[in-house]
Amino acid sequence: MIFFSILIACLLGVVVGLNTPMISYTYSSYLAIAIIAALDSVFGGISSVIDKKFNMKTFISGFFGNAILAILLTVLGEKLNVDIYLAAIVVFVGRMFMNLGNIRRYYVEKWTEKIKNRTQKQKNS
Amino acid sequence: MTNKKIISLVLGIMCFALTAGICIQVKTVNNTNSKVSKNYEQNNLRAEVLKYKEKYDNLLRELEEIDEQLLKEIDKAAANNSELEESNKKIIEGNKVIGLSEVNGTGVIITISDSEIDQNSVLDSSDLLVHDKDILKIVNELKNAGAEAISINGQRVILTTSIVCGGNIININGEKIGSPFEIKAIGLPETLANLNRPGGFLNYLQEERKLKVNLKKDNNVNIPKYAGVLNFKHIKRDK
Repeated sequence: MIFFSILIACLLGVVVGLNTPMISYTYSSYLAIAIIAALDSVFGGISSVIDKKFNMKTFISGFFGNAILAILLTVLGEKLNVDIYLAAIVVFVGRMFMNLGNIRRYYVEKWTEKIKNRTQKQKNS
Repeated sequence: MTNKKIISLVLGIMCFALTAGICIQVKTVNNTNSKVSKNYEQNNLRAEVLKYKEKYDNLLRELEEIDEQLLKEIDKAAANNSELEESNKKIIEGNKVIGLSEVNGTGVIITISDSEIDQNSVLDSSDLLVHDKDILKIVNELKNAGAEAISINGQRVILTTSIVCGGNIININGEKIGSPFEIKAIGLPETLANLNRPGGFLNYLQEERKLKVNLKKDNNVNIPKYAGVLNFKHIKRDK
C-alpha cells in the first residue's frame, strides 16, 4: 500500500516536473541541495515506517526544516566563500546510506524467513 | 482514515514533490550548455555570465512591453484627431525606413561561415576566416543591388551601423557577432541574387578563400528592428 502510493507519486512527479518551466540557473544550486535534503527525509520516513515508529510531525517538520536549513546554509556559504553545502551533503548522504541499510536489512530478513518457512512446509508435507 | 493510509498519503506527496524537483533540476542543468568545467573559478564566471544574460533578456522583454504600451497610447491619443493621425502615420512610415520597426518582404538570405579545411594546408590561414571587410563589402554590394533593409545575425543595418573587427568576432552596432553569419536583405530577389554571379565577390569568397557561402531567395524575409537607441546631438537642420 505504502510503496504503491510512493510509486504512483513518483510517476506523477516525473510527469509534472517535465512539464513545468525551468527555473533560472542562479537558483539551481539551491534546488539541488534541497533535493538532497528531501531525499534524505523520504528515506528516513520509509525506514521509520519499517521500524514502526513513524511520527507524522517529526517527518513533515524534518522534510521542510532540513530542506530550508540546507538552502540557508548554502546561501551563507556563498556569502562567506566557504562550501558549507559540502558538509550538508556529507551528513545527508551518510544518513541516507544508514536508512537504506536499515530498509535492506529488514527485507533481507523477511525474505529469508519466508524461504525458510516454505522449505519447512515442503518438508512437512 | 487509518494511520497507514495517512502515512502513505504523506509519503506519496513528499515523493511527488521530490521527483518533480529532481526533474526540474535535471532539465535546468541539461539546458545550460552541459559542458561543466572542472575549474571552480570558470564555473563561477559562467554562472555570472548566465546571470547577466538572464538580466539582459528580462530587461529587453520589459523594454519591448513598454514599447508596445507606448504604441497603444499613441494610437489611442491619435484616434480622434485627424492631424495627429496623419503625423502618426508619418512616424510609422519613417520608423520603417530608418530601421526602428520590424519589416518583412521578398529578398535573399546569405549565409557565410569560416572555412573548414586544414589551416596548415594554405599559405595564409587568415584567408579561411570571415573578416569584417568581407561583411562590409557584401553589405555594400547588397545596397548597390537595391536592398531596402539589411540585417546581419539579427543586427539591423541602419545609418549609424558600423562593422568593425574585434578579434575573433565582429562588432556590429556595438554587439559581438561570430561565424556563421546570416545576412538578410529585403529587395527584388532577382537583382539581389546577382551577387552570386561568376567572378563576383561571393564567388571569390567561395572559390579562392574556400569559405562556405550560400545564397538563397526567400519570399518572406523577416528583418528585426534596430535594438539600440538613436541619439543625435550634433546635427541641426539648416534653416
